[in-house]
Amino acid sequence: MTTELERRAAADASLSDEEFRVVVRDWIAGNYMLERNLRIRPPFAYAKPWYLKLSERGWLAPGWPVEHGGLGLSIMKQVILVEEQERYGCCRLNEMGVVMVGPLLIRFGTDEQQKFFLPKILNGEIRWCQGYSEPGAGSDLASLRTEAVRDGDEWVVNGQKIWTTRANDADWIFALLRTDKSVAKHAGISMFLMPMTSPGISVKPIRDLNGGEELCQTFFENVRVPHANLVGELNKGWGVNSALLGLERIYVGLPKHSAHALARLHDLMTLTGAWEDAAAVDRFTQFQFDLEDHIALYEAALEQVSRTGQFPADISLLKLSQTELCSRITEAMMDMGGEIAGLFDPLVEHDNLFLANQFLLARPTTIYGGTSEIQRNILATRVIGLPKQ
Amino acid sequence: MNDQVSGISLEAQEENVRMIRESAGFLRAPDRMAAVRAARHIMPGITPADRDAVVSMGWLGMRLPEERGGVGFGLAEFCALSEELGRGLLPEFVVQAMAIAPLLPDAVLEQALSGERIVIPAWNEKLGDPDHVEAALTGGAITGTKRFVLTAAAADSFLVTTAGGAALVDAGASGLSLSTLALQDGGHFGELALENAAATPVEGDVARTREEAMLGMSAYLLGMAERTFEITKEYLAVREQFNRPIGSFQALQHRMVDMYLQIELTRAAIGKTARLLDDAEADREECLRAVSRTKARASDMVLLVTREGVQMHGGMGYTDDCDVGLFLRKAMIVATGHGSAGWHRRRYARLADLANNRLAA
Ligand SMILES: Cc1cc2nc3c(=O)[nH]c(=O)nc-3n(C[C@H](O)[C@H](O)[C@H](O)COP(=O)(O)OP(=O)(O)OC[C@H]3O[C@@H](n4cnc5c(N)ncnc54)[C@H](O)[C@@H]3O)c2cc1C
Repeated sequence: MTTELERRAAADASLSDEEFRVVVRDWIAGNYMLERNLRIRPPFAYAKPWYLKLSERGWLAPGWPVEHGGLGLSIMKQVILVEEQERYGCCRLNEMGVVMVGPLLIRFGTDEQQKFFLPKILNGEIRWCQGYSEPGAGSDLASLRTEAVRDGDEWVVNGQKIWTTRANDADWIFALLRTDKSVAKHAGISMFLMPMTSPGISVKPIRDLNGGEELCQTFFENVRVPHANLVGELNKGWGVNSALLGLERIYVGLPKHSAHALARLHDLMTLTGAWEDAAAVDRFTQFQFDLEDHIALYEAALEQVSRTGQFPADISLLKLSQTELCSRITEAMMDMGGEIAGLFDPLVEHDNLFLANQFLLARPTTIYGGTSEIQRNILATRVIGLPKQ
Repeated sequence: MNDQVSGISLEAQEENVRMIRESAGFLRAPDRMAAVRAARHIMPGITPADRDAVVSMGWLGMRLPEERGGVGFGLAEFCALSEELGRGLLPEFVVQAMAIAPLLPDAVLEQALSGERIVIPAWNEKLGDPDHVEAALTGGAITGTKRFVLTAAAADSFLVTTAGGAALVDAGASGLSLSTLALQDGGHFGELALENAAATPVEGDVARTREEAMLGMSAYLLGMAERTFEITKEYLAVREQFNRPIGSFQALQHRMVDMYLQIELTRAAIGKTARLLDDAEADREECLRAVSRTKARASDMVLLVTREGVQMHGGMGYTDDCDVGLFLRKAMIVATGHGSAGWHRRRYARLADLANNRLAA
């Protein structure tokens, strides 16, 4: 007997990418029920109706296989779903469960883990945070020291994570922990899942540069974790994590972020009369070229994805290109904004133009998910093939 | 070059600069940035402690001749102090207040020096164009709108520029209403709506004073950048990743050198411009050009140094606890105001008539 999901999966798969895009676009327009074009990612409680709506349609986790509640769609169709939501201005969801934990469990999890967690990701019951970085382990993540020591059927965890985004609004954490100190650093790391309500876990928010409080410090003091919460093999956590890279690169590479910033720079130039200034026009035009060419690069990468079903080796070029372009556009907002560049509030009378916010929000994009410097190191050695330092 | 500037020897001037920097030593205290952080978004925009320090050090009198109760310092000393204020993020309207003190009539000056009256200039009216002035002074009263007035809520009087010269307006004058706009550094701009507000005209070269204030702001930016650079340099030495200090990575070293070069270019430009403006014989337009060159450089430089400071701190740089962020958010206001880099470049190009004046090669 075919299930409803199987029927939908087959139907979506039978469409060409172009047909699929049209179907998605119409469906979003007919079903999206929240405010469009929110500036920030809203709290989960607000976004939940949209999360569930997508889930019900099978489009929350379209890449997951059908037996786990997804539709098994191609990477290209997954990208189309992301793009169309961005285009319509749908709110950003807390997608860590869908984009990271789900694929992790589908590939490395036990039956029990899959049966327990995957449905709870799809119905929004469990929201995740990512416990990787530590005070002493950022770019050099493999030097992490938060330790898990075996005690019978349990592990006892001690240490500290930092920059744990939304740890203060999450139910579970997926964390890389040190399980063997006697071997090379990459070889002694394991991946664990822990409920945030575990005795011994405490969370302290960090105020960020832009006044937000999503970043957290997460402390572990004799936290007991059942052995069953280990994901993948013991001491193979590094490989487990590396196998995952992909879709989030597409997220940060989306041209939409830069396109939005450029549209606001356009508004600013209209407001200040800068279209009369040849230097400003030249600068804007350069950005427009950068954006158009980034779009071309992005499309070329996608084309390769649709042909091969895999992400190209230099996929991180997209992150570098997009985040740095967006940063430079917001820097131009500072240069051209004059006295309104540093205002603390949006300009209500000018369609909420908010230069400082754009500029500040662009700052961390070249830091998280691997800093620009680390991306360059990786591209230099692994893609261009230059000798290592 | 003439080693006698504004009547004193370079040695004497160096001694003055040393003294003046010493007087600002409290701005280098380890707990200074905690105090700055705590003072954000609190009206009127300067803490009682900072205000007392400014008054007790006699800084407002630094540009005044001795016969008016001052010490008669030149622009080199003024810039050195502005730089110190920038290092310690003392509210930057004090730079303007020091610059305009010589314009104040005796009675007001006395109150300013004793700390009873804060006088803040209101030069601007139009976004992005410090030269645009429409406010009218007629029959001892001003009508018009002044915008982007720094720390306006702290003012007891405003020095208001108008198409018919500058005049002092009491902050409590009838016909004056003040509204404020919050800023990223925790300070604010005031907007003054003046409707026949009683005003006392002032004598003196107000336009020239504004140039000195712009130069002072360049020095303030230099001080900010120096401190940001030091903080970053210290972090690069102590922060280790991959078993070595991150400062040992050439990717960061080269960018530190680029920043260092920009800082030194700015310092050199400020020094030379200060000497030019101190020379009573100097050509007026040449002075304007030099100020524009300097402020443009300082603005671009400070945005580079503070941005890079954040980036090189990694996640730490994106926290409110990191001092670099205080400098970044101050730079967003001081670099972009007082004539942005773009405005100053346009002014320079116009004054220098660049198209018809080729540099002798
Ligand atoms: C907004 C935000 C959200 C985040 N969310 C999460 C999260 O949810 N979960 C999580 O685990 N982490 C998260 N992070 C952490 C992020 O992954 C780290 O900040 C990042 O990996 C950098 O590490 P670090 O902060 O320790 O900086 P460091 O590694 O100390 O880097 C400092 C500077 O040194 C440079 N550097 C380091 N090594 C080299 C090198 N070899 N060559 C050249 N330059 C180098 C860096 O590029 C950077 O400029 C988040 C960070 C931010 C800013």
